[in-house]
This record gives sequence, C-alpha cells and structure tokens, in this order.
Amino acid sequence: MIELSVSRLNKRFGGNHVLKDISFDIRGAEMVGLIGPNGAGKTTLTNVLDGAVKPNSGTVYLNGTRIDQLPSFEVAKAGLGRTFQVTRSFRRMTVLENLYVPAMAQGRSHKSNEVKEEALEVLDFLTMAHLRNEYARALSGGQQKLLELGRLLMLDPDLIILDEPFAGVHPKLMEVIYEYIRRVNERGKAMIIISHQMDSIFALCKRLLVLNYGDLIADDTPEKVKNDPVVIEAYLGTTEDRSGTGQHDDETRPADG
Amino acid sequence: MQYSSIFWWTILWVVFWGVTGGIGTRRVYLRKDLDTSNATLGGSLIGAAFGPFGLAPLWWKSPEIGRVMITLSSLVVIGIIAVAFANADPENNCVSNGSFVASQITNGLIIGIIYGLMAMGLTLIFSILGIVSFAHGAFYMIGGMLVYYIINVWFPGTHPLIGVLGSCLITFSMGALFERLFLTPMYDGRVERPVEYGILVTFGLSFTLTYLVAALAGFNPVKVKRFFDFPRIRLPDSSDPWLIKTSRGNMELFDTVSISNPRFVAAILSILVLIGLLLFLHRTWTGKGLRAVSQDRDAAAITGINPNRMNMLAFALGCMIAGLSGAVLVQAFSWLPVVGLIPEMRSFVIVVLGGLGSLPGAFVGGTLVGLVEAAGTGCVPNPQKASSYIPAYGMIILTIMLLLRPMGLFGRKFASGAHGKF
Amino acid sequence: MKRQNVPQLLGALIVAFFVAFPFVYSGGNYDYIMHICIIGFFYAILASSWSMLAGYAGQFSFGHMAFMGLGAYTTALFCHYFFISPEPTGICTEFAIGGHYLIVKNPIGVTSTTLTQDCLAQAMDKWNGTVEVTPMPVWLGVILGTIVGGIFGLLIGLLVLRLRAAYLALFTLGFSEILRATISAEIQITRGQAGLELPSLFENGITIAGHFFSKTDKIPPYFVMLFLLLGCLAVLYWLSQSRFGLFVRALREDQDAAAALGVNTTRYKVLVFVVTSSMAALAGTVYAHYVTIITPNNLMILQMSLVVAMAVIAGVESFIAAAIGAILIEFILEMLRTNFSIGGVTVDMTLWRLVFFGIVLMLTLRFARNGLLVPIIDFFTRGHVAAETVARRSDEAADTERRETQS
Repeated sequence: MIELSVSRLNKRFGGNHVLKDISFDIRGAEMVGLIGPNGAGKTTLTNVLDGAVKPNSGTVYLNGTRIDQLPSFEVAKAGLGRTFQVTRSFRRMTVLENLYVPAMAQGRSHKSNEVKEEALEVLDFLTMAHLRNEYARALSGGQQKLLELGRLLMLDPDLIILDEPFAGVHPKLMEVIYEYIRRVNERGKAMIIISHQMDSIFALCKRLLVLNYGDLIADDTPEKVKNDPVVIEAYLGTTEDRSGTGQHDDETRPADG
Repeated sequence: MQYSSIFWWTILWVVFWGVTGGIGTRRVYLRKDLDTSNATLGGSLIGAAFGPFGLAPLWWKSPEIGRVMITLSSLVVIGIIAVAFANADPENNCVSNGSFVASQITNGLIIGIIYGLMAMGLTLIFSILGIVSFAHGAFYMIGGMLVYYIINVWFPGTHPLIGVLGSCLITFSMGALFERLFLTPMYDGRVERPVEYGILVTFGLSFTLTYLVAALAGFNPVKVKRFFDFPRIRLPDSSDPWLIKTSRGNMELFDTVSISNPRFVAAILSILVLIGLLLFLHRTWTGKGLRAVSQDRDAAAITGINPNRMNMLAFALGCMIAGLSGAVLVQAFSWLPVVGLIPEMRSFVIVVLGGLGSLPGAFVGGTLVGLVEAAGTGCVPNPQKASSYIPAYGMIILTIMLLLRPMGLFGRKFASGAHGKF
Repeated sequence: MKRQNVPQLLGALIVAFFVAFPFVYSGGNYDYIMHICIIGFFYAILASSWSMLAGYAGQFSFGHMAFMGLGAYTTALFCHYFFISPEPTGICTEFAIGGHYLIVKNPIGVTSTTLTQDCLAQAMDKWNGTVEVTPMPVWLGVILGTIVGGIFGLLIGLLVLRLRAAYLALFTLGFSEILRATISAEIQITRGQAGLELPSLFENGITIAGHFFSKTDKIPPYFVMLFLLLGCLAVLYWLSQSRFGLFVRALREDQDAAAALGVNTTRYKVLVFVVTSSMAALAGTVYAHYVTIITPNNLMILQMSLVVAMAVIAGVESFIAAAIGAILIEFILEMLRTNFSIGGVTVDMTLWRLVFFGIVLMLTLRFARNGLLVPIIDFFTRGHVAAETVARRSDEAADTERRETQS
C-alpha cells in the first residue's frame, strides 16, 4: 500500500514564500492532478518531494520513510520517480542505455537477460522498439518524452510525478502517454500529474490539488474543484497565465501576474 | 626571521576561522533560509578577521551580509596578516622601508590597470559568447610582436603609436576571422557542448598561434624601445625635497615613489582605451546592442539586434584588447612567443575574482591582483622564491574565490544566451 | 566475418604487433625508435585516462598533467631522500626499524652540493665503504606515487563538485600552475629547474628468460610501459562496460536527471577523478623512473596541450581511440622533426610540426567533432544501427498493418 504524507511543507527562496504550509496525503494507487497558474509552486513542490530542493520546514514520508532531507538519488531509491518539465534524456547515450541507468542504479546488472528483456518490453510498449540502438539525440521531442517515461518504468517507483507530460506532444503520441498512465496506474502505482491541459487532467484524475501562489487552495474531486469559487477566482484573475502551456515556470520570480 | 612562528600561527588561526566561518555561515543561513549567495564569502572573511568573536554574533543575529561588511572584514584580514608579518620579520624591506612600500603600491596599481584592461577583453568575450577564450594570452603576445615587427622590421622609423594601431587592427581582424570560421557552429546547437567546444577550440588556436609565431620569429627575445621619453621636469624647481623629478626613462614622486616610463605610458594608454571602450559601450548603438545581448540574448534578438554579428564584434574586440595590452607592454618587457601564458592565467584569475562577464569587476580584480603581486614580490624574503611564486599567487586567489563565491565579486549568476549556461 | 568484429581483431593485431616489435625490428636507430614507443605508450595512458575524465564523465580538466607530475615527484622525492642502513649515521633524521635504520636525508638544494654534502654522503665518507646503504625499492615509490595521485584526485574531485565547465577548466589549470610554481620555487627540496634524479626502473639490470638486460636497455621499460598501458586500458574497458561507465556518461549528459533516477552523482564524479588521476600518477612514476630525471617543465601547459590534442584529434569519447591516437601522433610528431630547406630557407620543423598539429586540432574540432578515429570505430560497431532501425520500423509497420487488417 503506497502512502505519501506531506505535512506543513514550507519553502522560501530569499523573501519569496513559494510553498506555504502544504499538507496532503496520497493513499493507494491514486491518480492525482496538480494544477495551478504559472508561478504557483508546482515545480517547486515536485523538486522538494524529489529531494532536489530541501524544504525549510515540514516533513514528507513515503511508505513510512522520511524523505524530505534525503538527496535526490536516495529519494529515487525510496520509490519516488519524476519527469522534468523540459525533457532531459541522456542525449549521447543509446535508447537502451538510457533505460539501463535507472535499473543499474538499483543494483541490477544490465548484463542480465532479465533487465534487457524488461527494457525491450518497455520499448515495445512505448512503440519505440526499432529505435533501441539509436542515440537519444536522434529522437524527436515526443519520443524523448516517451523515453523519459520509459526510464521511470525501469526505475519502477511507487509514486510517479509527471511534470507536463502532454506539453508539445503530437496527438498520436498523446494516446501512448494516456495508455502509459492508465497502465502504470493499473499496476498499483500512485501518480501526481502536473499539467495545464485541463481536458487531460479531468479525464484522468479523480482528485485534484490546486496550488495558487504557494497555497494549497483546493483538494477535491474535479467536479467540485471546477465549481469552487476560490479556484475560479485564482484562474480568472490571471487569465493570461492559462495560455502558458508548457512554458518554463520561473518559480523564483515574484508573482506579479 | 626568528619570530616567523608567530606569523605562521596567525595564518593558521586566520585560515581555521575562515574555513569554519565559510562552512558554518552557509549552514546557518541555509537553516534560517536567508540569502546564502554571500554567506560563504562573508562568513569566511568575518571568521578570518574576528575569529569566534565575529562568528558568534553573526550566527546569532544573522544579518544580511552586505558589501560594506565584506570590505571591512577583508581589510581587517589584510591588516592582521600585515601586522603579523611585520612582527615576524621586522627587517624586511616592505616593513622597514616606507618608500619601498609606497613604490610597490604605486607600481602595483599601475600594472593593475593594464591587467584590468586585458581581463576586460576576456570578460567581454565571456559576457557575449559565454566562453572562456584560452587564446587570450596568444593575442596578447601577438599584439606585442606586431608592434615590434611594424616599427622595427617592416617599416623602420614608424611612430610607435602607428605600430600600436596597426597591431590593434590586425588582432581585431584575426579575432573576427577566427570567430567566423570556428565559433559559428556554437550558436545554433550544432555543437553538443558549446562551452567545452569553445574552450578546446580557443585552446587549439592558442597552441597554433604560439608555435606559428615561434616558427616565424624564433625563440629569441625581442625588445622594443620605450615609445616616449619623459620631458625633464623637476618640481618645485631646484629646491631639495622636490615633488616630481623625471629623467627620460623614469619618474620619481615625492623623492620616494619611482615609476618606470614604459609602465607609466602603458597605463596612460590603457586608461585612454578604457574610456574609449566605455564610451563605445554606453554611447553608441552598437555598444548598447552589445550590452543588450550580454544581458538577454533572446530579448535583444527580438528588438532587431543581430546576436551573431554581436558575437563576432565581441570576440574581435576582446582579441583586440588583448593585443592592445600586449602592444603597450612590449616596451616594458622582453617579448617571447610564450610570453602570453602568465598574463593569460592572470586574466583568468582577474575575471573569476571580479565575476565572469562583469566589466567593472574585471577592473577591480585587475588592480587587486596587481597589488597582491606587488606585495608578493616585495615581501617574500627570498627573492628567487618570490619570482617563482608570482603565477601561483593569482592562482591561489582564484582557487579560494571559486570555493567561496564562484560567481565572483561582481558576477551575475550566469551569463546570457543558451550557451552561457554552465 | 561480421563487421562488428573488425575492431576487436584489429586491436588484437595491434597488441601483437607491439609485443613482437622489439624483437623483429632491425632498422636503424633502434634505441630511438624504442624510446618513441615508450613515450608514445606514456602519452597513451594519459590521453586515454583523460578521455575517461573528459569524454565519458564530461569533466574537462586541465590538471591531468599535474597528477602525472605529482606521481613522478612523489617517487622522485621518496627515492631521493629515503634510505635504509644497518648502522645509524648519527647526523641524519633516522628511525630505527627492526635492526635497520630508515634514514631521511636533509635537503640541501642545488648550489651547495659541492660545498657541503648531504648528511648521508658525509656519513658514508666516515664509514669508508664498510656499511652498505640500501636505496628504497622503485616499486614502492611507484605505489606511493599512485596513491598520492589518487588522494589528490579525491581532494580535487571533492572541491570541483559544484563547479561546471568553464570554472572547472580554470580551477584545474590553477591547481596545476600552483603545483608547478611550488616545485620550481622550493629549490631546497625539489632542486627546482635543475630537476630531481631518480634511479632507473631496473637499476641493477634485470634478467628475463636467461637474457641479461642492463639498466640502459630499452626492452624492459618498453614492456613495463606497454603492459601498464594495456592494464590501464583493461581497467578503463571494464569500468566503461560496468555501471560506472554508464553512470558517468549519464551524469555528463544531465546530472539532475541522473540523480532523479537513483544515481549517486557525487560518488561517481569523485570516483572518476580518483581513478583517472591515479592512472596519470602511475604513468608519471614509471615515466620518471624511465627518463631518470624529472623537472617542473614536465608539467608545462605544452604537455597538457599535447595530451588534450591527442585525445581530441583521435576522439575524446573513446579511450581506445585516444590511446591509439596518442601513439600515432607521437610517432608522426617525431617523424616530422627533420628540418629541410626550400630555396635556401631552412624550415625549422621542430616548431612547424606543432603549428600543423594545432591546425589539425582546430580543424578536427570544427569539422569532425567525434575525432578522426572514433567515426572509423563507429563505422564498424554502429554502422548497422541505422539500417537496423529502418528494417525494424518497416517490420513493425507491416505487423501493425497485418493486425489492423485482421481485426
């Protein structure tokens, strides 16, 4: 049983309070959407959960292990995997090697057939089996995104955070990503999906977290969130932010929208 | 040196508290989630200056560490070291001989100006192209060589300033040509790792140019006569403690400070060039374009500035400035094909000290390094050792600076452009 | 025979060639050619370990030669100052160990050798040949040098953790300059530019397979250096094929992403510094014992440029290519030494060859970013990939088509 519990998480960058007393829990194979206008703190929250950034206060427990003070790689081993907003494949390594990295980081050997077969299976699933020996830099942007998802499958974490998985993806690949998310969820993994594409979020998630300038302003079902006056105000007050799909959030910039 | 143990114990004390302050303050400021960009540098300086008595209140109150605090505590550190040194070695020339000290400081400042000029070329290249040019020393060497060849070999009897001008023109065009031929692939993502590519390709250029000049000109040192003679002055006239006395090759101030003509002329020329450069950067369209690109490449491109043109201009200007500092210094030193190496390292030190990409930083860094080198040459007891250690002084500063505050004294966190990220 | 096997076969041939070379070569200048080979192997160790550091792990360090010098000076100082004697001298610093005495000579610098001898020489004068003083074994110096190189690699690796690209290059350059300046300045101990003399690898000669080789013979150092090179290449190969190789490449590409996938980036970054710098130090110790004198000039930036250029021209992303390239380039550079004259003008090839070398370096960087040898190796090992990809794609397309028509 997967259990993530975040309590009273705070993060400041200088005088800029980016996360204010964030608390929430995820139990079981939940699929949670994390939305909010640009600069709301979504990426910072991901970074804090992932261990790339240390919180100023608050605790994060994953399956009973405290992870908020651990370095990134320990968090990954504890069972939390994430993708990045801007795709970060290992460009000068082959597709297969990209997939071996997380497997080997867990102490498995890439010389064992088991790992190799698993990697090929993952590639099959991502419709990229024919590209296995190509360098990652030869792939299209969407394929690199898939590759990143594939690496997560090899890491096999309990909780996956997807940061903008649909941004700039061809509709055909979008299908594959949908399928991926459903399949991974069926395997009993919990997921947090950050996206600006509301259709996808509403279609996939049964629960939404809404961040606005560091505050967690809503934690409810999509229907309720849609009609929540606070959320509506947060979004309508910053209409121009909604169009900024896939843009780079600059979390350190003071929110002036 | 019978009290030298005092000196070493003091150094040990200062270093110990400096390290403690550097590491501890960062921790403390992180825990209190304050701005840590100055914490390491400030903490270590305060620790070094005041020991536990400085660190305790700092960690207790944790105020914002500003420029004043840093400057003050660094002055105190210098003072402590100076006093310890004076106690340890009272016979030393730079303790007992006041006029020697004044001379060293003046000459340190003068040479520092020229260092600053040269480093400015490097920092200009960095701020626009995002690469560290390892060919900077080669251009410095070529600048000097060209002056020698123009006024002594090719057109004997030409005025030295024409030689300087010619060498500027040639180094400028060499820089522009090199940029067009070798650096263009960096801009459009054709190179996987642009920063490393820039380092390696300029490294190759430096290698090539050095041996090209060696093959053409040989390894014998060449020397250029001083450009100008001082007029004979003695002020006030014929009274004994005079204020200024000049001979053709030397100038003495207040009966104590002696400045050699070539360095003085070089410094004056450097200052003129500096002013010209600043005017160019702040008053002309192209200069403003350059500064705009150095701040935000993409935004500048939107406003109609062609960043590629600016890259070429910046690189060529940077090379020209290196060549120019060589050209004005060729009268002061004897010139060899490998003469550029130490100035190049020094420029690296200066730009890291001042902050890669910061023009005023380069200038301040230059004078600081000039002073440190003057102190080092003057004060280390064994002169033979002192001269061997000169390049190391700067490198020690560089190492310390990189550990304490990698972005330098005046540096921004990163330079502009896609290839400025590192 | 499959195309993929060509490089292995070629590699085996090259190794066989170099093993057989000293016995079959009968041309002129035997010692000179052997010397070039030994120096070539030396550079090959440096270039291949640098390619592991720069090409695999992406740490463009300019301090590699400094580690070489650290190793060389460690063993030089060790052999110069430490001796074992059965009798106490009474004037040196000495420690009793068992029935013997470990003697530390006092440093006397360069100028005073003729005036006042060091304490051991004085003591030996007094003994008048009655006491046999044993110098330290060379192999111990080699091991010590390697360890010191590794320790400094660890320190530098820890210090540069936060630095990237340009700053890393400057920092390592600074480190090597500080080291060079210190060695040139501390004349009392290191004898400065005069250089430290070392015993040669086999000071008393060596007998291999019934044949006696004197200490000036080139064959023993040739094989020592060759096997050292092969050993280093074997270690590098093993590392590159293990998780180490995969992880350092991952952190070269994207440190944060690698960490997010569970790679302990700090550990591997430091580890790659330790491994490569101890290799450089090891090469340095053996080189120092081979040339029997070491001066701070060996740490000059020119030497570092040579290593960098060799690796880059051959292909920095493959240590095998870097090693082969280093040997080839060393040979070409030596062959080009001969001056010649055109129309009465003598062309000084000792300098012009370096000019051409520099131009080749720049052109390689500009037009063949993977180096000149790596594409050849890739042609054999990866040449099939593109065709394979296309074939697989059409297979899959056919598969899906079939599936679609069936359903």
